Amino acid sequence: MVNYGGDEVSALVIDIGSSSLRAGYAGDDTPKAIIPSPYGYIPPSAFSGDGDATMNENGASEVAGKAKSYFGHSGPSIWRANMEIGNPISDGLIADFGPIPALIRHALEDVMHCSASEHPILVTEPSWNTPANRERMAEIMFEEFQVPAFYIANTSVLNTFAAGKGSALVIDIGQSVASVVPVVDGFVLRKGLQFSSLPKLVHAHARHLLTTPNPVRPPADLYPYQLISSKQAVEPNAHPRYTLREDRLAGTTRSWREWYEAREVEEWVQTVAGVLDQGWNDQLLQHRQHKQYEFPTGYNAWFGPERFGVGEMYFHHTPQLAGNPDIPKHIPGLITDSLKACDPELRQVLISNVVLTGGGSLFSGLADRLGSELARSFPHFKIHAPGNPIERRYGGWLGGSILASLGTFHQLWISREEWQEHGKAIVGQRCK
Amino acid sequence: MASSGIGVHPGCLQDYQTLKLGKKLKYIIFKFSPDFKEIVTEKTSESDKYEDFLADLPEDQCRFAVYDFHFQKEGAGQRNKVCFFLWNPDAATIKSRMLTASSKEALRKSFDGIHIDVQGSDLSEVSYENVLEKASRSF
Repeated sequence: MVNYGGDEVSALVIDIGSSSLRAGYAGDDTPKAIIPSPYGYIPPSAFSGDGDATMNENGASEVAGKAKSYFGHSGPSIWRANMEIGNPISDGLIADFGPIPALIRHALEDVMHCSASEHPILVTEPSWNTPANRERMAEIMFEEFQVPAFYIANTSVLNTFAAGKGSALVIDIGQSVASVVPVVDGFVLRKGLQFSSLPKLVHAHARHLLTTPNPVRPPADLYPYQLISSKQAVEPNAHPRYTLREDRLAGTTRSWREWYEAREVEEWVQTVAGVLDQGWNDQLLQHRQHKQYEFPTGYNAWFGPERFGVGEMYFHHTPQLAGNPDIPKHIPGLITDSLKACDPELRQVLISNVVLTGGGSLFSGLADRLGSELARSFPHFKIHAPGNPIERRYGGWLGGSILASLGTFHQLWISREEWQEHGKAIVGQRCK
Repeated sequence: MASSGIGVHPGCLQDYQTLKLGKKLKYIIFKFSPDFKEIVTEKTSESDKYEDFLADLPEDQCRFAVYDFHFQKEGAGQRNKVCFFLWNPDAATIKSRMLTASSKEALRKSFDGIHIDVQGSDLSEVSYENVLEKASRSF
Protein backbone atom coordinates (compact mmCIF):
# COMPACT_ATOMS: atom_id res chain seq x y z
CA MET A 1 0.00 0.00 0.00
CA VAL A 2 1.25 3.47 -0.85
CA ASN A 3 1.74 5.57 2.22
CA TYR A 4 0.56 9.02 1.25
CA GLY A 5 2.60 11.73 2.89
CA GLY A 6 4.26 9.73 5.63
CA ASP A 7 2.67 8.60 8.85
CA GLU A 8 0.07 5.92 9.24
CA VAL A 9 -2.97 7.78 10.55
CA SER A 10 -5.91 5.38 10.77
CA ALA A 11 -8.42 8.16 11.23
CA LEU A 12 -12.18 7.71 11.18
CA VAL A 13 -14.60 9.66 9.01
CA ILE A 14 -18.23 10.36 9.93
CA ASP A 15 -20.74 11.90 7.54
CA ILE A 16 -24.27 12.43 8.88
CA GLY A 17 -27.15 13.03 6.49
CA SER A 18 -30.94 13.16 6.74
CA SER A 19 -31.35 9.53 5.75
CA SER A 20 -28.20 7.84 6.97
CA LEU A 21 -25.03 8.14 8.99
CA ARG A 22 -21.90 6.99 7.18
CA ALA A 23 -18.83 6.04 9.16
CA GLY A 24 -15.63 4.29 8.21
CA TYR A 25 -11.86 4.24 8.15
CA ALA A 26 -10.03 7.02 6.33
CA GLY A 27 -8.40 5.62 3.21
CA ASP A 28 -11.23 3.15 2.51
CA ASP A 29 -13.29 3.68 -0.61
CA THR A 30 -16.64 2.90 1.03
CA PRO A 31 -17.93 3.58 4.54
CA LYS A 32 -17.90 0.46 6.76
CA ALA A 33 -21.04 1.49 8.63
CA ILE A 34 -24.08 2.92 6.88
CA ILE A 35 -26.92 3.13 9.38
CA PRO A 36 -30.21 5.04 9.32
CA SER A 37 -30.13 8.47 10.98
CA PRO A 38 -33.65 7.97 12.33
CA TYR A 39 -33.88 5.84 15.47
CA GLY A 40 -36.61 4.15 17.43
CA TYR A 41 -37.49 4.89 21.05
CA ILE A 42 -40.07 3.75 23.49
CA PRO A 43 -41.18 6.60 25.74
CA PRO A 44 -41.15 5.80 29.50
CA SER A 45 -44.93 6.26 29.68
CA ALA A 46 -45.52 3.45 27.19
CA PHE A 47 -43.01 1.17 28.80
CA SER A 48 -44.71 0.12 32.00
CA GLY A 49 -47.13 -2.34 30.36
CA ASP A 50 -46.06 -5.72 29.10
CA GLY A 51 -42.30 -5.49 29.69
CA ASP A 52 -41.11 -5.53 26.12
CA ALA A 53 -39.11 -8.60 25.11
CA THR A 54 -36.71 -6.69 22.91
CA MET A 55 -34.82 -5.05 25.74
CA ASN A 56 -31.57 -6.86 25.22
CA GLU A 57 -31.66 -6.74 21.49
CA ASN A 58 -28.62 -5.48 19.67
CA GLY A 59 -28.89 -1.78 18.94
CA ALA A 60 -30.71 -0.87 22.14
CA SER A 61 -29.24 1.85 24.25
CA GLU A 62 -30.08 4.61 26.67
CA VAL A 63 -30.94 8.16 25.74
CA ALA A 64 -31.72 10.67 28.46
CA GLY A 65 -35.44 10.96 29.09
CA LYS A 66 -36.31 8.12 26.76
CA ALA A 67 -36.50 4.72 28.31
CA LYS A 68 -35.11 2.70 25.47
CA SER A 69 -33.66 3.64 22.11
CA TYR A 70 -32.91 1.50 19.10
CA PHE A 71 -30.31 2.35 16.48
CA GLY A 72 -29.00 0.91 13.26
CA HIS A 73 -30.30 -1.81 11.02
CA SER A 74 -32.13 -3.58 13.83
CA GLY A 75 -33.32 -0.23 15.11
CA PRO A 76 -36.19 1.79 13.65
CA SER A 77 -37.06 -0.70 10.90
CA ILE A 78 -38.01 -3.46 13.33
CA TRP A 79 -41.59 -3.30 14.55
CA ARG A 80 -41.86 -2.91 18.32
CA ALA A 81 -44.94 -2.15 20.37
CA ASN A 82 -45.24 1.55 21.17
CA MET A 83 -41.95 2.43 19.46
CA GLU A 84 -41.79 5.98 18.15
CA ILE A 85 -39.38 7.20 15.47
CA GLY A 86 -37.18 10.26 15.88
CA ASN A 87 -34.71 11.83 13.52
CA PRO A 88 -32.02 14.08 14.99
CA ILE A 89 -31.48 15.63 11.54
CA SER A 90 -33.75 18.33 10.22
CA ASP A 91 -33.07 20.24 6.97
CA GLY A 92 -29.66 18.59 6.78
CA LEU A 93 -28.56 19.94 10.16
CA ILE A 94 -28.37 18.25 13.53
CA ALA A 95 -31.44 19.69 15.25
CA ASP A 96 -31.40 17.38 18.28
CA PHE A 97 -28.01 16.50 19.73
CA GLY A 98 -29.60 14.23 22.35
CA PRO A 99 -29.38 10.94 20.45
CA ILE A 100 -26.25 11.87 18.43
CA PRO A 101 -23.63 10.35 20.76
CA ALA A 102 -25.59 7.08 20.96
CA LEU A 103 -26.05 7.03 17.19
CA ILE A 104 -22.33 7.56 16.58
CA ARG A 105 -21.43 5.06 19.28
CA HIS A 106 -23.62 2.45 17.63
CA ALA A 107 -21.87 2.97 14.26
CA LEU A 108 -18.35 2.94 15.69
CA GLU A 109 -18.62 0.34 18.45
CA ASP A 110 -21.42 -2.03 17.45
CA VAL A 111 -20.90 -1.99 13.69
CA MET A 112 -17.21 -1.17 13.23
CA HIS A 113 -16.02 -2.59 16.55
CA CYS A 114 -13.57 0.20 17.14
CA SER A 115 -12.98 2.71 19.87
CA ALA A 116 -13.18 6.43 19.09
CA SER A 117 -10.60 7.29 21.73
CA GLU A 118 -7.88 5.65 19.63
CA HIS A 119 -8.53 7.45 16.35
CA PRO A 120 -8.54 11.01 15.05
CA ILE A 121 -12.06 11.73 13.72
CA LEU A 122 -13.05 13.85 10.76
CA VAL A 123 -16.73 14.85 10.66
CA THR A 124 -18.42 16.48 7.68
CA GLU A 125 -20.87 19.38 7.80
CA PRO A 126 -23.23 20.97 5.26
CA SER A 127 -22.48 24.51 4.09
CA TRP A 128 -25.36 25.95 6.09
CA ASN A 129 -24.18 24.47 9.39
CA THR A 130 -24.09 26.92 12.31
CA PRO A 131 -20.98 27.76 14.38
CA ALA A 132 -22.80 26.60 17.52
CA ASN A 133 -23.52 23.25 15.89
CA ARG A 134 -19.95 22.54 14.85
CA GLU A 135 -18.64 23.54 18.26
CA ARG A 136 -21.12 21.21 19.90
CA MET A 137 -19.89 18.41 17.64
CA ALA A 138 -16.29 19.13 18.63
CA GLU A 139 -17.33 19.07 22.26
CA ILE A 140 -19.04 15.70 21.88
CA MET A 141 -15.99 14.28 20.14
CA PHE A 142 -13.44 15.51 22.67
CA GLU A 143 -15.47 15.25 25.87
CA GLU A 144 -17.69 12.20 25.32
CA PHE A 145 -15.63 10.18 22.87
CA GLN A 146 -12.20 11.29 24.09
CA VAL A 147 -10.84 11.49 20.54
CA PRO A 148 -7.13 12.34 20.22
CA ALA A 149 -7.82 14.76 17.32
CA PHE A 150 -10.76 16.22 15.41
CA TYR A 151 -11.54 18.09 12.22
CA ILE A 152 -14.80 19.21 10.66
CA ALA A 153 -14.86 19.58 6.86
CA ASN A 154 -17.43 21.10 4.54
CA THR A 155 -19.16 18.57 2.27
CA SER A 156 -19.40 21.01 -0.67
CA VAL A 157 -15.64 21.56 -0.56
CA LEU A 158 -14.99 17.82 -0.20
CA ASN A 159 -17.21 17.13 -3.21
CA THR A 160 -15.45 19.84 -5.23
CA PHE A 161 -12.04 18.36 -4.44
CA ALA A 162 -13.22 14.80 -5.05
CA ALA A 163 -14.20 15.93 -8.54
CA GLY A 164 -10.64 17.18 -8.99
CA LYS A 165 -11.58 20.84 -8.94
CA GLY A 166 -10.62 23.88 -6.93
CA SER A 167 -13.71 25.80 -8.00
CA ALA A 168 -17.11 24.33 -8.79
CA LEU A 169 -20.85 24.76 -8.47
CA VAL A 170 -21.89 21.83 -6.27
CA ILE A 171 -25.45 20.58 -6.74
CA ASP A 172 -26.18 18.20 -3.89
CA ILE A 173 -29.53 16.43 -3.77
CA GLY A 174 -30.19 14.61 -0.54
CA GLN A 175 -33.23 13.02 1.03
CA SER A 176 -34.62 16.21 2.52
CA VAL A 177 -32.52 19.07 1.12
CA ALA A 178 -31.38 20.11 -2.36
CA SER A 179 -28.54 22.63 -2.34
CA VAL A 180 -26.50 24.64 -4.82
CA VAL A 181 -23.19 25.85 -3.42
CA PRO A 182 -20.49 27.82 -5.24
CA VAL A 183 -16.98 26.83 -4.15
CA VAL A 184 -14.11 29.06 -5.25
CA ASP A 185 -10.48 28.06 -4.69
CA GLY A 186 -11.53 25.67 -1.96
CA PHE A 187 -13.80 28.07 -0.08
CA VAL A 188 -17.58 28.21 0.01
CA LEU A 189 -18.88 31.47 -1.39
CA ARG A 190 -21.52 32.04 1.28
CA LYS A 191 -23.50 34.68 -0.57
CA GLY A 192 -24.21 32.20 -3.36
CA LEU A 193 -25.40 29.43 -1.02
CA GLN A 194 -28.90 28.23 -1.93
CA PHE A 195 -30.91 25.34 -0.57
CA SER A 196 -34.50 24.20 -0.29
CA SER A 197 -36.56 21.26 0.92
CA LEU A 198 -37.34 20.34 -2.69
CA PRO A 199 -36.86 16.56 -2.17
CA LYS A 200 -39.70 16.65 0.37
CA LEU A 201 -41.99 18.25 -2.20
CA VAL A 202 -41.10 15.55 -4.74
CA HIS A 203 -41.80 12.94 -2.08
CA ALA A 204 -45.15 14.51 -1.18
CA HIS A 205 -46.13 14.57 -4.84
CA ALA A 206 -45.28 10.87 -5.24
CA ARG A 207 -47.25 10.00 -2.13
CA HIS A 208 -50.25 11.98 -3.32
CA LEU A 209 -50.07 10.25 -6.69
CA LEU A 210 -50.06 6.81 -5.11
CA THR A 211 -52.72 7.35 -2.45
CA THR A 212 -55.25 9.29 -4.53
CA PRO A 213 -57.81 7.24 -6.47
CA ASN A 214 -57.84 7.70 -10.23
CA PRO A 215 -60.01 6.31 -13.06
CA VAL A 216 -57.78 3.30 -13.79
CA ARG A 217 -56.74 2.16 -10.34
CA PRO A 218 -57.66 2.30 -6.67
CA PRO A 219 -55.44 4.19 -4.23
CA ALA A 220 -52.47 2.27 -2.81
CA ASP A 221 -52.40 1.41 0.89
CA LEU A 222 -48.88 1.93 2.17
CA TYR A 223 -48.95 -0.62 4.99
CA PRO A 224 -45.45 -2.02 5.54
CA TYR A 225 -44.95 -5.78 5.47
CA GLN A 226 -44.58 -5.86 9.27
CA LEU A 227 -48.27 -5.07 9.60
CA ILE A 228 -49.50 -7.59 7.05
CA SER A 229 -50.29 -11.15 8.07
CA SER A 230 -51.30 -12.52 4.68
CA LYS A 231 -51.97 -11.44 1.12
CA GLN A 232 -53.17 -12.96 -2.12
CA ALA A 233 -51.94 -12.43 -5.64
CA VAL A 234 -54.24 -10.05 -7.49
CA GLU A 235 -54.43 -8.67 -11.02
CA PRO A 236 -52.76 -5.31 -11.76
CA ASN A 237 -54.92 -2.31 -10.80
CA ALA A 238 -57.25 -4.56 -8.77
CA HIS A 239 -58.12 -4.02 -5.14
CA PRO A 240 -55.56 -5.86 -3.01
CA ARG A 241 -56.64 -8.78 -0.83
CA TYR A 242 -54.68 -8.78 2.39
CA THR A 243 -55.26 -9.09 6.08
CA LEU A 244 -53.58 -6.92 8.66
CA ARG A 245 -51.87 -8.08 11.80
CA GLU A 246 -54.54 -6.98 14.23
CA ASP A 247 -52.27 -7.93 17.13
CA ARG A 248 -49.83 -5.21 16.10
CA LEU A 249 -52.11 -2.38 15.03
CA ALA A 250 -52.85 -1.08 18.51
CA GLY A 251 -49.17 -0.92 19.44
CA THR A 252 -48.13 0.79 16.22
CA THR A 253 -47.31 4.44 16.77
CA ARG A 254 -48.14 7.14 14.31
CA SER A 255 -44.50 8.22 13.90
CA TRP A 256 -43.37 4.67 13.13
CA ARG A 257 -46.11 4.21 10.57
CA GLU A 258 -45.42 7.57 8.93
CA TRP A 259 -41.73 6.78 8.74
CA TYR A 260 -42.32 3.36 7.25
CA GLU A 261 -44.91 4.64 4.77
CA ALA A 262 -42.36 7.22 3.67
CA ARG A 263 -39.94 4.36 3.07
CA GLU A 264 -42.51 2.58 0.90
CA VAL A 265 -42.98 5.74 -1.16
CA GLU A 266 -39.20 6.19 -1.38
CA GLU A 267 -38.81 2.64 -2.61
CA TRP A 268 -41.42 3.27 -5.30
CA VAL A 269 -39.74 6.53 -6.33
CA GLN A 270 -36.35 4.86 -6.68
CA THR A 271 -37.72 1.95 -8.67
CA VAL A 272 -40.40 3.53 -10.82
CA ALA A 273 -40.22 7.33 -10.98
CA GLY A 274 -38.11 9.22 -13.49
CA VAL A 275 -37.81 12.45 -15.39
CA LEU A 276 -37.75 13.08 -19.13
CA ASP A 277 -34.38 14.34 -20.30
CA GLN A 278 -35.76 17.04 -22.60
CA GLY A 279 -38.69 18.35 -20.58
CA TRP A 280 -42.36 17.37 -20.55
CA ASN A 281 -43.58 16.05 -23.89
CA ASP A 282 -46.88 14.17 -24.21
CA GLN A 283 -45.91 12.62 -27.52
CA LEU A 284 -42.61 11.27 -26.28
CA LEU A 285 -44.32 9.91 -23.21
CA GLN A 286 -46.46 7.59 -25.35
CA HIS A 287 -43.30 5.72 -26.27
CA ARG A 288 -41.84 5.36 -22.80
CA GLN A 289 -42.21 2.01 -21.12
CA HIS A 290 -44.74 1.54 -18.36
CA LYS A 291 -43.33 0.05 -15.20
CA GLN A 292 -44.96 -2.44 -12.88
CA TYR A 293 -44.61 -2.17 -9.13
CA GLU A 294 -45.99 -4.23 -6.28
CA PHE A 295 -46.56 -2.94 -2.76
CA PRO A 296 -46.36 -5.06 0.41
CA THR A 297 -50.17 -5.40 0.39
CA GLY A 298 -49.99 -7.27 -2.90
CA TYR A 299 -51.47 -4.31 -4.72
CA ASN A 300 -49.72 -3.85 -8.02
CA ALA A 301 -50.09 -1.55 -10.98
CA TRP A 302 -48.48 -0.40 -14.20
CA PHE A 303 -47.29 3.18 -14.01
CA GLY A 304 -47.15 5.17 -17.25
CA PRO A 305 -46.64 8.89 -17.91
CA GLU A 306 -47.48 9.74 -14.28
CA ARG A 307 -44.18 8.25 -13.15
CA PHE A 308 -42.38 11.02 -15.04
CA GLY A 309 -44.56 13.70 -13.47
CA VAL A 310 -42.78 13.02 -10.19
CA GLY A 311 -39.36 13.96 -11.54
CA GLU A 312 -40.77 17.02 -13.25
CA MET A 313 -41.14 18.54 -9.77
CA TYR A 314 -37.35 18.85 -9.53
CA PHE A 315 -37.28 21.21 -12.50
CA HIS A 316 -40.66 22.79 -12.97
CA HIS A 317 -43.50 23.99 -10.76
CA THR A 318 -47.03 24.23 -12.11
CA PRO A 319 -48.41 27.81 -12.17
CA GLN A 320 -50.51 27.26 -9.06
CA LEU A 321 -47.47 25.95 -7.15
CA ALA A 322 -45.14 28.62 -8.51
CA GLY A 323 -47.41 31.34 -7.13
CA ASN A 324 -47.01 30.04 -3.59
CA PRO A 325 -44.03 31.64 -1.82
CA ASP A 326 -43.72 28.71 0.60
CA ILE A 327 -43.02 26.19 -2.13
CA PRO A 328 -39.35 25.13 -2.12
CA LYS A 329 -37.30 26.39 -5.06
CA HIS A 330 -36.70 23.91 -7.87
CA ILE A 331 -33.22 23.12 -9.18
CA PRO A 332 -33.11 25.72 -11.99
CA GLY A 333 -34.35 28.33 -9.50
CA LEU A 334 -31.64 27.43 -6.99
CA ILE A 335 -28.98 27.62 -9.70
CA THR A 336 -30.19 30.97 -11.04
CA ASP A 337 -30.35 32.53 -7.58
CA SER A 338 -26.96 31.15 -6.63
CA LEU A 339 -25.26 32.50 -9.77
CA LYS A 340 -27.03 35.84 -9.45
CA ALA A 341 -25.29 36.36 -6.12
CA CYS A 342 -21.85 35.65 -7.63
CA ASP A 343 -19.62 38.06 -9.56
CA PRO A 344 -20.29 37.88 -13.32
CA GLU A 345 -16.75 36.72 -14.17
CA LEU A 346 -17.11 33.81 -11.75
CA ARG A 347 -20.36 32.58 -13.26
CA GLN A 348 -18.71 31.12 -16.35
CA VAL A 349 -16.12 29.28 -14.25
CA LEU A 350 -18.84 27.84 -12.00
CA ILE A 351 -21.18 26.76 -14.76
CA SER A 352 -18.29 25.09 -16.59
CA ASN A 353 -17.62 23.08 -13.44
CA VAL A 354 -20.92 21.77 -12.16
CA VAL A 355 -20.52 18.87 -9.74
CA LEU A 356 -23.63 16.73 -9.25
CA THR A 357 -23.73 14.69 -6.05
CA GLY A 358 -25.96 13.22 -3.34
CA GLY A 359 -28.10 10.09 -3.31
CA GLY A 360 -31.10 11.98 -4.71
CA SER A 361 -29.12 12.85 -7.84
CA LEU A 362 -29.28 9.18 -8.82
CA PHE A 363 -32.99 9.72 -9.57
CA SER A 364 -33.54 8.22 -13.01
CA GLY A 365 -32.90 10.75 -15.79
CA LEU A 366 -32.00 13.62 -13.47
CA ALA A 367 -28.43 14.19 -14.67
CA ASP A 368 -29.48 14.25 -18.35
CA ARG A 369 -32.35 16.59 -17.64
CA LEU A 370 -30.05 18.92 -15.71
CA GLY A 371 -27.84 19.02 -18.80
CA SER A 372 -30.68 20.05 -21.09
CA GLU A 373 -31.89 22.67 -18.58
CA LEU A 374 -28.41 24.19 -18.39
CA ALA A 375 -28.06 24.11 -22.18
CA ARG A 376 -31.05 26.47 -22.45
CA SER A 377 -29.33 29.22 -20.49
CA PHE A 378 -25.62 28.66 -20.94
CA PRO A 379 -23.60 28.14 -24.14
CA HIS A 380 -20.76 26.42 -22.28
CA PHE A 381 -21.35 24.20 -19.30
CA LYS A 382 -20.01 20.93 -18.03
CA ILE A 383 -21.45 18.55 -15.48
CA HIS A 384 -19.23 16.25 -13.51
CA ALA A 385 -21.48 13.43 -12.33
CA PRO A 386 -19.61 10.30 -11.24
CA GLY A 387 -21.03 7.18 -12.91
CA ASN A 388 -20.19 5.15 -9.85
CA PRO A 389 -23.23 5.39 -7.53
CA ILE A 390 -21.05 5.01 -4.44
CA GLU A 391 -19.07 8.11 -5.41
CA ARG A 392 -22.32 9.97 -5.96
CA ARG A 393 -24.08 8.80 -2.80
CA TYR A 394 -21.12 9.10 -0.47
CA GLY A 395 -19.06 11.81 -2.23
CA GLY A 396 -18.64 13.84 0.95
CA TRP A 397 -17.60 10.83 2.99
CA LEU A 398 -15.16 9.69 0.30
CA GLY A 399 -13.52 13.11 0.05
CA GLY A 400 -13.11 13.16 3.82
CA SER A 401 -11.79 9.61 3.74
CA ILE A 402 -9.01 10.54 1.32
CA LEU A 403 -8.11 13.77 3.08
CA ALA A 404 -8.00 12.27 6.56
CA SER A 405 -5.83 9.39 5.37
CA LEU A 406 -2.99 11.72 4.41
CA GLY A 407 0.00 11.92 6.71
CA THR A 408 0.45 15.52 5.57
CA PHE A 409 -3.06 16.40 6.76
CA HIS A 410 -1.87 16.16 10.38
CA GLN A 411 -1.14 19.89 10.54
CA LEU A 412 -4.88 20.57 10.25
CA TRP A 413 -6.16 18.24 12.95
CA ILE A 414 -7.25 19.93 16.16
CA SER A 415 -5.42 17.96 18.82
CA ARG A 416 -6.77 17.18 22.25
CA GLU A 417 -4.15 19.48 23.79
CA GLU A 418 -5.21 22.36 21.56
CA TRP A 419 -8.85 21.78 22.48
CA GLN A 420 -8.03 21.83 26.16
CA GLU A 421 -5.97 24.98 25.78
CA HIS A 422 -8.15 27.05 23.43
CA GLY A 423 -11.62 25.56 23.80
CA LYS A 424 -14.35 26.05 21.22
CA ALA A 425 -12.71 29.03 19.53
CA ILE A 426 -10.16 26.78 17.85
CA VAL A 427 -12.84 25.05 15.77
CA GLY A 428 -13.74 28.17 13.80
CA GLN A 429 -10.07 29.15 13.43
CA ARG A 430 -8.84 25.82 12.15
CA CYS A 431 -11.78 24.55 10.13
CA LYS A 432 -12.45 27.39 7.74
CA MET B 1 -9.25 25.55 4.39
CA ALA B 2 -9.42 21.81 4.19
CA SER B 3 -6.19 21.15 2.35
CA SER B 4 -4.02 18.09 1.94
CA GLY B 5 -1.09 19.74 3.69
CA ILE B 6 1.21 18.50 0.94
CA GLY B 7 4.19 20.89 0.62
CA VAL B 8 5.95 22.52 -2.31
CA HIS B 9 9.58 21.69 -3.11
CA PRO B 10 11.72 24.89 -3.34
CA GLY B 11 12.78 23.82 -6.84
CA CYS B 12 9.25 24.53 -8.11
CA LEU B 13 9.54 28.20 -7.22
CA GLN B 14 13.01 28.44 -8.77
CA ASP B 15 11.74 26.95 -12.01
CA TYR B 16 8.79 29.31 -11.95
CA GLN B 17 11.08 32.33 -11.52
CA THR B 18 13.18 31.10 -14.43
CA LEU B 19 10.09 30.90 -16.60
CA LYS B 20 8.83 34.31 -15.55
CA LEU B 21 12.08 36.26 -15.72
CA GLY B 22 14.21 34.29 -18.15
CA LYS B 23 11.67 34.39 -20.99
CA LYS B 24 13.11 31.15 -22.33
CA LEU B 25 11.06 28.47 -20.64
CA LYS B 26 7.65 27.99 -22.15
CA TYR B 27 6.06 25.70 -19.66
CA ILE B 28 6.62 23.66 -16.50
CA ILE B 29 4.80 20.50 -15.42
CA PHE B 30 4.56 19.65 -11.73
CA LYS B 31 3.60 16.43 -9.98
CA PHE B 32 3.71 14.76 -6.57
CA SER B 33 6.92 13.25 -5.25
CA PRO B 34 6.77 9.43 -4.98
CA ASP B 35 6.08 9.61 -1.22
CA PHE B 36 3.32 12.21 -1.74
CA LYS B 37 4.91 14.60 0.73
CA GLU B 38 5.53 17.43 -1.69
CA ILE B 39 5.02 18.78 -5.17
CA VAL B 40 8.08 18.67 -7.45
CA THR B 41 8.90 19.74 -10.99
CA GLU B 42 8.40 16.92 -13.48
CA LYS B 43 9.54 18.72 -16.60
CA THR B 44 10.50 22.13 -17.95
CA SER B 45 10.26 22.83 -21.67
CA GLU B 46 11.22 25.53 -24.14
CA SER B 47 8.98 24.17 -26.87
CA ASP B 48 6.59 26.81 -28.15
CA LYS B 49 4.31 24.24 -29.75
CA TYR B 50 1.10 24.14 -27.70
CA GLU B 51 0.54 20.53 -28.80
CA ASP B 52 3.77 19.53 -27.06
CA PHE B 53 2.39 20.96 -23.85
CA LEU B 54 -0.89 19.09 -24.26
CA ALA B 55 1.00 15.89 -24.98
CA ASP B 56 2.74 16.25 -21.62
CA LEU B 57 -0.58 16.12 -19.77
CA PRO B 58 -1.17 12.42 -19.13
CA GLU B 59 -4.57 10.98 -20.01
CA ASP B 60 -5.18 9.35 -16.65
CA GLN B 61 -3.02 11.21 -14.17
CA CYS B 62 -3.28 14.58 -12.49
CA ARG B 63 -0.73 17.35 -12.92
CA PHE B 64 -0.18 21.02 -12.25
CA ALA B 65 1.36 23.23 -14.92
CA VAL B 66 2.41 26.78 -15.64
CA TYR B 67 2.39 28.03 -19.23
CA ASP B 68 3.75 31.32 -20.56
CA PHE B 69 1.02 32.10 -23.04
CA HIS B 70 1.79 34.52 -25.91
CA PHE B 71 -0.90 35.84 -28.20
CA GLN B 72 -1.86 38.74 -30.43
CA LYS B 73 -4.43 41.03 -28.92
CA GLU B 74 -6.44 42.80 -31.56
CA GLY B 75 -5.17 46.34 -31.99
CA ALA B 76 -2.86 45.96 -29.02
CA GLY B 77 0.00 43.86 -30.39
CA GLN B 78 1.82 40.99 -28.73
CA ARG B 79 0.76 40.08 -25.19
CA ASN B 80 1.74 37.41 -22.74
CA LYS B 81 -0.09 35.94 -19.77
CA VAL B 82 1.19 33.33 -17.37
CA CYS B 83 -1.40 30.60 -16.93
CA PHE B 84 -1.76 28.12 -14.10
CA PHE B 85 -3.25 24.73 -14.96
CA LEU B 86 -4.95 22.23 -12.69
CA TRP B 87 -5.10 19.08 -14.81
CA ASN B 88 -7.47 16.50 -13.37
CA PRO B 89 -8.71 14.11 -16.05
CA ASP B 90 -11.88 12.15 -15.27
CA ALA B 91 -9.92 8.95 -15.94
CA ALA B 92 -7.69 9.59 -12.91
CA THR B 93 -8.62 7.89 -9.65
CA ILE B 94 -10.79 9.79 -7.20
CA LYS B 95 -7.89 9.66 -4.77
CA SER B 96 -5.47 11.44 -7.07
CA ARG B 97 -8.14 13.96 -8.09
CA MET B 98 -8.85 14.72 -4.44
CA LEU B 99 -5.15 15.00 -3.65
CA THR B 100 -4.44 17.31 -6.54
CA ALA B 101 -7.39 19.61 -5.97
CA SER B 102 -6.75 19.89 -2.25
CA SER B 103 -3.05 20.63 -2.81
CA LYS B 104 -3.47 23.17 -5.59
CA GLU B 105 -3.66 26.29 -3.42
CA ALA B 106 -0.30 25.54 -1.77
CA LEU B 107 1.45 25.61 -5.14
CA ARG B 108 -0.69 28.28 -6.74
CA LYS B 109 -0.24 30.81 -3.95
CA SER B 110 3.52 30.43 -3.93
CA PHE B 111 3.62 31.84 -7.49
CA ASP B 112 3.00 35.54 -7.94
CA GLY B 113 2.12 37.04 -11.29
CA ILE B 114 -0.26 34.32 -12.50
CA HIS B 115 -2.88 35.94 -14.74
CA ILE B 116 -5.16 33.09 -15.61
CA ASP B 117 -6.36 29.95 -13.87
CA VAL B 118 -7.42 27.01 -15.96
CA GLN B 119 -8.87 23.82 -14.50
CA GLY B 120 -9.28 21.01 -16.97
CA SER B 121 -10.66 17.52 -16.87
CA ASP B 122 -10.51 16.94 -20.62
CA LEU B 123 -8.52 18.32 -23.56
CA SER B 124 -11.27 20.66 -24.73
CA GLU B 125 -11.08 22.58 -21.46
CA VAL B 126 -7.34 23.18 -21.84
CA SER B 127 -7.40 23.70 -25.62
CA TYR B 128 -5.49 26.58 -27.21
CA GLU B 129 -8.75 28.26 -28.19
CA ASN B 130 -10.16 28.04 -24.70
CA VAL B 131 -7.05 29.49 -23.08
CA LEU B 132 -6.80 32.17 -25.80
CA GLU B 133 -10.38 33.17 -25.07
CA LYS B 134 -9.66 33.48 -21.35
CA ALA B 135 -6.46 35.41 -22.06
CA SER B 136 -8.13 37.86 -24.44
CA ARG B 137 -10.95 38.52 -22.00
CA SER B 138 -8.66 39.52 -19.15
CA PHE B 139 -6.65 42.72 -19.07
